[in-house]
Formats: sequence, C-alpha cells, structure tokens
Amino acid sequence: MATQVVMDHTGDSRHRFDPADAAAVAEAEERFKMLTGFGFTAAKRLSEGKSEVLKSFDPTAEETLFIPRLKGG
Amino acid sequence: MIWAELCIELSVALMAGAVVMIAIMAGDAGDSSQADKKALALLRPWLSPEQAQQYDSRKHFEVIGSDTGTRYRIRHGYMMNIDQLDSAGNKVCAWCLVPVGNLAAGDCMLAQKIALETFESKALAVANRGC
Repeated sequence: MATQVVMDHTGDSRHRFDPADAAAVAEAEERFKMLTGFGFTAAKRLSEGKSEVLKSFDPTAEETLFIPRLKGG
Repeated sequence: MIWAELCIELSVALMAGAVVMIAIMAGDAGDSSQADKKALALLRPWLSPEQAQQYDSRKHFEVIGSDTGTRYRIRHGYMMNIDQLDSAGNKVCAWCLVPVGNLAAGDCMLAQKIALETFESKALAVANRGC
C-alpha cells in the first residue's frame, strides 16, 4: 500500500491506495494534482534523512508528503 | 419576586455557559495535544540519524541549505525558530518560515527542514529575516 500524507491542523490526514489498482492510482493522481494546484509541495522520503520534491505524481512512491504553502511569519 | 427568579435563571444560564466553554476549551487542548503527538511522529522518520540524535538531546537539529550550503538550526517551535549559523556554529540571524494552516510544531519543523534542504532559495525568498 502507498500513502499520501497531508499536513493539517490535526497533525496529518492519510490516504492509502493500492499501487496495483488502476482506479485507486488515478484517484491518488487526481489528489496529487489538486493539492499541488492549491500550492502544496509534494515530497517523498529518501534514505538517511534526505527527501526529494515531486513535480509530478510518482505512483511508485511509498509515501508522499504534502506540505501547505510556506509564508514568512 | 420576579427579579429574584430572573436572577436565579440568569445565574443558571451563566453557569451553563461557563461549563460549555470549559468543555470546549478542554476538547481543543486534547485535539492540540493529539496533533502535536502525530506531527512529532511524522517528523521522526524524515530525520537523519544525526538529526534525530540532536533533536532528542537538545530539541533542535541542523540542516544544510540545498543552494548555498549554509547551516541552519531548526529549534522546536512554530515561528522564528530557524537560526542561520556561521562556520563556527554561531547564530548569524533568525528566519521565520511557516506553512499556512495553524500546524503543530512537528509539522512546521518538517516543512522547514524539507524546504531548506531541497529548495532553500525559494523558501527564504518568502521567509522573514530577523537578527
């Protein structure tokens, strides 16, 4: 199972999907496009504390994190 | 007599209101505490072993900026919690960079870490600097 983790005021919300299920993957891709369209940054975790920003949907990513738009405080 | 009854009814209404407010505030505190725990649990696996050790012992961890190689110290917190460090580890200035949405500290620190480690210049372009 792959997971899309969206940061929010509750800590986060998680959406799990089966990468082998075409319909679920399409839904996950739609969620990716919607969130990044709203200004979220998508990132996937690499090894040893490294991460990579995703510019397009990666169906092979085990976990994709969505970070809300950043601003100066 | 009517005034006495009105006073009693008003007192009861005020007390009921106070009870409801206390219950709401207690619920908020519980949600907030739960969010804090979830956010810290989310942060943990994204940290390198060294960063995890730093956070466990000193409640802060260091990251290296992706574009300039600058070292930053992210302290536990929400705002003005990023210190820019010089080569000797001294604080040069502080940065305020927060994700929108009233997020828990763990989420803020994770967002700051990923931003500085992967798109430092773009992130600092929207951040506020303080010294």
